[in-house]
Amino acid sequence: MIFVDPGKCSGCSRCEVSCSFFHTGMVGRSSARIKIVKIEGTGIDFPVVCQHCKERYCTKCPQNAIEIGKLGQIIISPTLCTACYLCEQLCPIGAIELYEDIPFVCDLCGGDPQCVQACTLGAITYEPDKLEPIELKVFKTKNKKLTPEQKRVRFALASTKQLREKWLSGRN
Amino acid sequence: MLYGYGGYILRINLESGRIKREKSDPAYMLKVIGGRGLNATRMHEELRRDVEPLSPENMLMLAVGPLTGTLLPASAYTTISGKSPLTGILGDSAAGGHFGPELKQAGYDQVIITGRSKEPCYLLITNDNVELRDASHLWGQDIWKTTAAIRKELGDNAAQIAAIGPAGENLVKFATVACNNSRMFGRTGMGCLFGSKNLKAVVIRGKGRIKVADSLKYAELCRKLEQDILTHPEYSQRNQMGSTMLMTALNNIGILPTNHFQKGVCDYVDQISGETLEKKYKVKNKACFNCNIHCSRYFVTDGYEGEGPEYETLCSYTSRIGNNDLNFALKATTFLNRMGLDSLSSGETIGWATECIERGLLSKDDFDGLDFKWGNTPVIEKILDMIVYRKGIGNAFAEGTRSLARRFGKGTDKYAFHIKGLDMICGDPRGIKAFGLTYAIASRGGDHLRAEPFFELTQLYDEAERRWGIREIADRLAVKGKAILVEYTERLALLTDCMTMCKNIGLSMDVMNPDFASQLLIAGTGLRFTPEQVNNALRGIIERDRLMNIDFGITASDDTLPYRFVHEPLTDGASKGHTVPIEQMVQEYYKAKGWNEQGIPQRPVEK
Repeated sequence: MIFVDPGKCSGCSRCEVSCSFFHTGMVGRSSARIKIVKIEGTGIDFPVVCQHCKERYCTKCPQNAIEIGKLGQIIISPTLCTACYLCEQLCPIGAIELYEDIPFVCDLCGGDPQCVQACTLGAITYEPDKLEPIELKVFKTKNKKLTPEQKRVRFALASTKQLREKWLSGRN
Repeated sequence: MLYGYGGYILRINLESGRIKREKSDPAYMLKVIGGRGLNATRMHEELRRDVEPLSPENMLMLAVGPLTGTLLPASAYTTISGKSPLTGILGDSAAGGHFGPELKQAGYDQVIITGRSKEPCYLLITNDNVELRDASHLWGQDIWKTTAAIRKELGDNAAQIAAIGPAGENLVKFATVACNNSRMFGRTGMGCLFGSKNLKAVVIRGKGRIKVADSLKYAELCRKLEQDILTHPEYSQRNQMGSTMLMTALNNIGILPTNHFQKGVCDYVDQISGETLEKKYKVKNKACFNCNIHCSRYFVTDGYEGEGPEYETLCSYTSRIGNNDLNFALKATTFLNRMGLDSLSSGETIGWATECIERGLLSKDDFDGLDFKWGNTPVIEKILDMIVYRKGIGNAFAEGTRSLARRFGKGTDKYAFHIKGLDMICGDPRGIKAFGLTYAIASRGGDHLRAEPFFELTQLYDEAERRWGIREIADRLAVKGKAILVEYTERLALLTDCMTMCKNIGLSMDVMNPDFASQLLIAGTGLRFTPEQVNNALRGIIERDRLMNIDFGITASDDTLPYRFVHEPLTDGASKGHTVPIEQMVQEYYKAKGWNEQGIPQRPVEK
């Protein structure tokens, strides 16, 4: 799966750009399957991408359009999907978002993720054999009214608490 | 549809609230390319020359380049232009960050704002949906708070915002506009224009996508450029320190402005250098949209944190004003970023005041009791606050150094280091002759970015001979051939600005050239941007800029440098004994341009 290290991320969005370009031939954050959250004022930049969570909330798709691939990636059937937006609602961290009625979620580029290639800082790495899915249950609370972006911000803030503490404790 | 381009131009009249969306015209774009060229040409065509900068009729324009927001690295800039309130001539300023690509993703190449809103407002652009919103509750807030408040109001953390702070609201002539908190549209007072229009911010949410004409070719070209950047000998230095690496570098060649350009060597450079900043305060890299250099840095100190500073701010608030306290420079940076004040222009007013007191031309009684001395940081803090809120003598400082020197007289104008009203950047031209010429002829005033003649610093003599047939071009202390160099790099710098790319890529790192840019433009837009077409467009823009400035009252006598750089040799360091023979160099430059001795373009300008 894909691992992110926010301590190294500069927020350049090269991962988003490459993801969007190599999947769709166009560049736009809307069709990126990895999205950087920038929390200005704190210096935090955090790439949010599917965490292969233990719960696999999105697989509750009523059309059975979502299955898990060999690499652990999400595969969405374009023929079965009716754009009901349930997967977007179910994902606790905003890693699935529909754009023009198409769900966008990381598919690991079939095992050669473009975002990893684009990242020149080593903030995003891909380790095919290492699977450390995390529990996302804590992010399921009080998130019904949140947009995917708001869910991403919440996840980013929670995931970078230690990093912030490290920065602040080492100041001169 | 237009490839690469956003496809639309937005016109907004803040007085009537009228909003108009026009299609971008491909034929017009071939002539102006985009970014600065697009803004400057509009201004040339539409702005009545006698319009006062702060009047509602003045135009305020934001533009991005044809390839901004695509796969092309380092093309994330936005240019804001208008008639400058600081200089009274052509004004523009560019900044990177993430604002430009968002504007493009919303579908726009340019936003043209005229009129003055009755109440404070902000402009909200969400793709096709454009509205003016009340900003009364934000008026008086600093830039960081404003940005956070707008994001909260919209419930959208991803909105990109260019906003002004109290300095812009109070019409400080060198107020800035900022995006991403610390990305400054710093020069020529564009923040003051925002303030004069009662416009607190421009907020963009772009959900569209950008398509290029020939994806495969385009990706190949972008990959080549990325490789050239990554394998560049200066890459790791630039990645670690960004422009702050210049503190040590310029000190080594004896041109680091120290005590207001009295010296080119600073004894305590190690305390204020990019290396020290990195070691003591940097916690990580920051970057503009889709850049693989990541040259910006996030710093955390005891009490302050933020992005930056860049070299010009660092130098302006350390050696240039005789301050050896790096921590203070970071504190000042934070203040300037929050309030929206240009570091170069504000720093120059402080340097000027300090030198005038040192020379006995003025005393602290002239400055409300503020005793300006080298590195007197409490006084510097006080005057900055007084400038932002136009309190006491700060009201005079807020008009800029040129105006200050005129007000006080007594020969103090000799120490007001501005050109055409724009305060000079931090690089002593006596040791970098082509840069000196650039400051003198730059169409927005004392600025290096209009040509960035980096090649004179390379010492690549054989390469200079190959490119221009003049070996001396690679020698920073030589005069010969520098007009030729500047004439060339001025076009390359304009091309960089039109494509709203970063000058590091466009010039300093020598990884771009006009032919390569032409290939990128063709693959990106599908329009016939042949090298000839591009070159003609660039020459046209430069001449129109010049003619416009002539209309604004600029003459050949304004194409010069302040007295010190022409008459007083540097006393120390690796550029010791040098001055800039500016008159001769300017004449050579006019000749290279095909202008007459008065600096007036001779061939009829294409309409």
